[in-house]
Amino acid sequence: MIKIEHLSKNFGDLVVLKDINIEIHKGEVISIIGPSGTGKSTFLRCINLLEVPSGGVIKINGENILSPKTKVNDLRQKMGMVFQNFNLFEHLTVLENLTIGPIKLLGKKKEEAQNKGRELLQMVGLAAKENSYPGELSGGQKQRVAIARCLSMEPEIILFDEPTSSLDPTMVSEVLGVIRRLAQEGMTMAIVTHEMSFARDVSSRIIYMDDGLIYEEGTPEEIFDHPKKDKTRTFIQRIRNFQYKIENKDYDFYGMNNAITTFCEKHFFKVQQIQAILLVVEESLQLYFDKDNIIQRNEIIKSGGGINLSIEYSEKDGQIVVSFVTTNDLPSIIKGAEVSDGISMAIISGMTESVEEDEIDGRLRLIMIMHLI
Amino acid sequence: MEVKIENADTETMVKMIGRLDSMNSGEVEKAVAPVMESDMKNVIIDCSEFDYISSSGLRIFLTMLKEAKKKGGKLSIRNMKAEIKSVFDITGFTPLFIFE
Repeated sequence: MIKIEHLSKNFGDLVVLKDINIEIHKGEVISIIGPSGTGKSTFLRCINLLEVPSGGVIKINGENILSPKTKVNDLRQKMGMVFQNFNLFEHLTVLENLTIGPIKLLGKKKEEAQNKGRELLQMVGLAAKENSYPGELSGGQKQRVAIARCLSMEPEIILFDEPTSSLDPTMVSEVLGVIRRLAQEGMTMAIVTHEMSFARDVSSRIIYMDDGLIYEEGTPEEIFDHPKKDKTRTFIQRIRNFQYKIENKDYDFYGMNNAITTFCEKHFFKVQQIQAILLVVEESLQLYFDKDNIIQRNEIIKSGGGINLSIEYSEKDGQIVVSFVTTNDLPSIIKGAEVSDGISMAIISGMTESVEEDEIDGRLRLIMIMHLI
Repeated sequence: MEVKIENADTETMVKMIGRLDSMNSGEVEKAVAPVMESDMKNVIIDCSEFDYISSSGLRIFLTMLKEAKKKGGKLSIRNMKAEIKSVFDITGFTPLFIFE
């Protein structure tokens, strides 16, 4: 239905979309998610030429809409767009908002347009408001009128640009309910949204955009439950990240502890939770700089670029992942612990749910998972 | 980290104040050396102002315990906070000590 190849968009020197490639099939519901400022809305606006792409090809039913021969108004009739801020005609009644397009652009008779308009108002639960003006409606009602108006043009696809982001939280569900119903009826839709549970429920495919690119895409299960890429995971699980570099055995222990404590306090960890993290970090470093082989291990660590400590905290489920990455010239930390007095590893095991070691990009990673209770 | 040692007729009170970690365990070891060199008949470690212990600290406690036992003495831990006691629990050290 829609095929987009190498789409790019610059605003002066600012590159907003880099190289977007995607196909949207009839009946698909695609939610576009990602951090603010990553080009999601610009992407949507490029599809119906509210923004003129800087490069690439957009084909709708095989026709390149960026060709000078394309009649932009004809194209826009195939595509409805629902905006954050409703964009209703304030001087027209609700019903007039729904009939003006069909009468003027589709050449429908007034009575036919009104009948269809009333039917759509019924569908969005606003039949009683046909003679009201937009200024008399709540935000949620305005957005439902905007959706009905969009449908009155009988589009093949509807593009939603953050349809609930300017609504009072109490009004979000009424709008999502209407979109959900359209999805059940098989309407093709592309939705830019920050409503993650809605995106998960309603979509056939999720696109995660970051830095002007489609960074990862997949089914809702793939993206929300098993994201493959780091940025997707960070976004989905609302991960807060702490990084610290340990160059060698003479690292600033108290500086590191202060930095960890500050990070934890910023995210409202309890004192005992902070102590547990500090303890896991300290004991791990005891194993890295094992006293029996400290000179040799220190040399390996130092020449291998030090140790990268990372603490990731997921606001979504309270999981904390503490990991250390260093050169794989260093022998296994877990195996090394087996021949030590065992106290450090006993503390680590007691404080964590799992302790594992693997290799990532040719470097040794010790990874420990904890949970805030 | 501060260690205060008070000797009375029948007992020696070792008060641990602050955080005992891998960086300051050497100093603490030195601070408690006179106690370990004594006859260690009845040593009490007061932990009411003790805030953190790592494996380095546990090793010092264990050494003190061994030393006390060797001399036929007794070592008890007093007023230890629950979060520090949990470190003794998970390492299996709890049954070795007398907690008051």
